[in-house]
Amino acid sequence: MRSRFERMVSAVERAQVLDAPSYQVEHGVSLTFLLAGRYARPLQDLLHGVWLGHPVHPFLVTVPVGAWTAAALLDGLDATGRGGPGTAQAAQAVVGLGVAGAVASAATGMTDWQHAHDEARRVGLVHAALNSTALALYSWSLADRRRGRAVRARVTAAVGYAVVLAGGYLGGTLSYRHRLGVDHSVGSREPRRFTRVADLADLPDGEPVGVDVAGVPVVLVGTEGAVRAVSGRCPHQGAPLGEGWLHRDELVCPWHGSRFDLDTGEPAQGPSTAPLPCYDTRIRDGRVEVRRRAHWRSATALTTVEEASR
Amino acid sequence: MKADEVLIAHHDVLRGLLRELAGTTGAELGRREELRDRLLRELEIHTQIEDELFYPAVVDVSPLLALAHAEHRQIDDQLATVMRLPVDDPDFGAEVRMLEKTLRHHTMEEEERMFPQSHSLGEARLEELGEQLRERQRELAASGGMRLVMRLKRATLRVTKA
Repeated sequence: MRSRFERMVSAVERAQVLDAPSYQVEHGVSLTFLLAGRYARPLQDLLHGVWLGHPVHPFLVTVPVGAWTAAALLDGLDATGRGGPGTAQAAQAVVGLGVAGAVASAATGMTDWQHAHDEARRVGLVHAALNSTALALYSWSLADRRRGRAVRARVTAAVGYAVVLAGGYLGGTLSYRHRLGVDHSVGSREPRRFTRVADLADLPDGEPVGVDVAGVPVVLVGTEGAVRAVSGRCPHQGAPLGEGWLHRDELVCPWHGSRFDLDTGEPAQGPSTAPLPCYDTRIRDGRVEVRRRAHWRSATALTTVEEASR
Repeated sequence: MKADEVLIAHHDVLRGLLRELAGTTGAELGRREELRDRLLRELEIHTQIEDELFYPAVVDVSPLLALAHAEHRQIDDQLATVMRLPVDDPDFGAEVRMLEKTLRHHTMEEEERMFPQSHSLGEARLEELGEQLRERQRELAASGGMRLVMRLKRATLRVTKA
């Protein structure tokens, strides 16, 4: 069973033939956002889940999956005559709820998918195609229920449910295998003590510089003699932020354009939904020292006498 | 000319235009408009020849195609921001510099990483590909269809400004 699923997934992952259509689809998504004008950015941040701290898509999909699971149960009871009065109406209501939830899930999913690469992009395209097929089947089923065509409505819903399960399997692949939407930032607590990383004189003003502190990538930004330090790996997909640049005092990711506040590490703009770890900095004898900030969601702590003497 | 040389030459054109545009002041409005329109056209041509000819040719020798597409997308989005701003807007300079940095990263990624990878295609293939790129570039620069697309794009960006 397991190996059969894996063979199917690997076949999709290797299907380079999907790349050309996938970029066409992305151009369509990009054009849609272009037409949204200045609302494009806030709209995409809303759909990514920048306001939430992790992607919106995975929890939104529980609405259609849950509603359609309830519909399958109610359809089963109704078809075998064990449902009692009102079962058909209840089934119709949950199918409708599922359709509404699926439309919202598709919007969030497409927004996240735009920035997927290679294998994840191909799996995502097939995931979207399957779930769109299921959405079409359930919309048809809903229309049939309103017209009183109960048998055909239950058949299309049953087929749709099978398609949703297949689509859901690929969705799981995207999260757990391709780690799409997962926080890719550096988890290491190092360096725990202030560690020398650069000479202050070597830092250009207002330009990020990537350094390596005991295997941990860190980005230093020197502005007017003060130095701020954040993690060197983008939480979105692990891009090297040392190759990024500053715009309006925010660090821009070179791959997908996420922007991060340098004081708090919070994403000021998606696609990253997770914050960037921050490092405390101090300057000793013209040398820059950094230490991983204990609670990096809080502003820089002042160095106490006790800490400074370590 | 080999394919990577053709593309580097066009990168120089793009970088030059951006440097010039970033160097203008709010007093040279006509010049800003003119440079911005040329930039829009050259970037469109550049994206198109890379997407149509170069990337498909290097798909088996470079793992960086997805990144290149992502960077094109980021350039496109920032270009839209610049196109939407009135040329006398106080933010104009900052947004042009942001576009310049975005483009600089993308060209660095190609010139220092992807192009060396493309050398495994061999001299002859790169020469042939370079000729195709130049031919397509000339064709697009002279094409009426391209001018129409540009006009549509400018109009769309103007309409969606508010």
